[in-house]
Amino acid sequence: MRPLPNDDFAPAPWPVTTGMNILVVGVGGQGVLMISKAIALMAQRRGFAVKQSEVHGMAKRGGIVFSHVRFAEEVWSPTIAKGEADMLVALEWAEALRWLDHLRPGRGVFIADTRQIVPPFACRSRKAGAASAYARETPAEIVGRHADGCALDATGIATALGDARAANTVLLGRLSVWLDYPVAEWHEVIDAIVPKGTREINRKAFDAGRAWTAPAPDEDDAAAPAVAAPMPDLHISVAIDPAWCKGCTICVKLCPERCLAMEGPVAVVATPAACTGCRVCEWLCPDFAVTVKNEGVPA
Amino acid sequence: MLDAAPSRSFDPKDYLRLQYMPHFMCPGCGHGIALHALLAAVHDCGIAKDDLAVVCGIGCSGRVGGYIDANTFHTTHGRPLAFATGLKLARPDLTVVVVTGDGDCLAIGGNHLIHAARRNLDLTCLMLNNEVYGMTGGQASPTTAATRFTSTTQSGAIEPTFDACALAAAAGASFVGREVTRQAPALKTLIARALRHPGFSFVEVMSDCTEIYGRKNDLGEAPEMILSQKADMRPDSHRDATDQPFRPHALPTGVFVERDLPEYGARLRAHAAAIRKEAGR
Ligand code: SF4
Ligand code: SF4
Repeated sequence: MRPLPNDDFAPAPWPVTTGMNILVVGVGGQGVLMISKAIALMAQRRGFAVKQSEVHGMAKRGGIVFSHVRFAEEVWSPTIAKGEADMLVALEWAEALRWLDHLRPGRGVFIADTRQIVPPFACRSRKAGAASAYARETPAEIVGRHADGCALDATGIATALGDARAANTVLLGRLSVWLDYPVAEWHEVIDAIVPKGTREINRKAFDAGRAWTAPAPDEDDAAAPAVAAPMPDLHISVAIDPAWCKGCTICVKLCPERCLAMEGPVAVVATPAACTGCRVCEWLCPDFAVTVKNEGVPA
Repeated sequence: MLDAAPSRSFDPKDYLRLQYMPHFMCPGCGHGIALHALLAAVHDCGIAKDDLAVVCGIGCSGRVGGYIDANTFHTTHGRPLAFATGLKLARPDLTVVVVTGDGDCLAIGGNHLIHAARRNLDLTCLMLNNEVYGMTGGQASPTTAATRFTSTTQSGAIEPTFDACALAAAAGASFVGREVTRQAPALKTLIARALRHPGFSFVEVMSDCTEIYGRKNDLGEAPEMILSQKADMRPDSHRDATDQPFRPHALPTGVFVERDLPEYGARLRAHAAAIRKEAGR
């Protein structure tokens, strides 16, 4: 077995021809496994031994998915240890940060989509526009400081091409800059694994990713993930007409934020600031006594 | 008209006869929620109030129409579908909605229901099912569930109940759906689909009678009753869900039937025209 490049040696020039450890991460439904398949297939065609292992079981739409792809003349372990990945391909920004420590220090290549998929548990408040607990690090803080590589809005690029689902292929195209095999061969690999009807868009996405260039520094900020997703300026208010309220308590007991309370025979708004404008009370009041104003979000 | 996009946001007060509000229904009555959903659906479909006719029978459900600021028609017990049939044939330009109850529609008016469904005239029939005759003192209706207490089943009901949706579908209705009042936005969407459907649309709304039925059967206050709807239902989209065995009696909701059948009004007019032509008139 020929050993894989090791930190103790001087950095090897890209592309590495002896073998590589590539970690592909993202969340369910993004196509992590499709990228790993493409890399594995390409490595096989090049005569390498390939091992690939993945965790995707809990990931049906939105959970974590990661896949280790290792190829060399001979590969023993199917997983990549911390600090031994030559490349990290991340389809989601927070996942990119989570797996950063798996990159080979100082030499690993980082390729990430800057799109945020905010997981439900990062939403600390149900109030529209509230800041989430999503990672605050921006691409500018990561790329070039902690790792070499690039962060691009692959989802945006794929959307512009006509299908946001091709974002993974955009990143594959980006990766091909380092894993520099002939483009025609990459296209063949893509054709072999994507559904027939999506070959065209996937080829286009691959080429777009490969041709991507970093924006000028002043535009860089635009590519940075916003700390809090921009929300429309909301004007939320809830009011109860005591003349129409019959005191059935439906609104009081069903308001998810417990904004309303009984005051004698009728319901009143106790904590208006807590109202998220969800309209549960308005829909379920049998007496048309509740009016919720929630401008900026469709009714 | 039906496809016109709503021009501004919905305010139920634009569709209510404000001089009669607040309405007569008991605190927590599900019929008020159904009325709200109906008005929102009418708004969504962009139907002008002058182009809407609401025909009601007798009972708590029968009083719902009177609060709508449109052409409304309070008819005899069980016969709103018959009145609506005449109205729609005479005025095909109107959108005719029938609001009826479980007793009105399935017992007294059971015959009218099956024949209206069979003819497939373009009507929307909203059956508010609260499992009881509320207005007349809480007698058992054709949908009163087994073991439930009412003033005519003092030791608990033993009769099997009607599945109104299956009945309407079997009789030939071209659109059949069911929703609970707890899911008011989904109910609105369902009613809007029924309004847009050309042909006889039957929508069963599972509503709560809090004061008469809920109290007598110890089903809790209005919030408890409406919350229990959620545990009792099984959206059609979850038909094959794995949790189904754990809720074997859960109520299916959603759209059950949506089919393209010849509409009776158009057929009748074509038929009449052909006969007139033959007679040389
Ligand atoms: S809209 Fe109504 S139910 Fe929703 S949070 Fe506000 S008060 Fe509560
Ligand atoms: S749901 Fe309506 S009638 Fe019932 S307590 Fe609330 S405001 Fe009053």
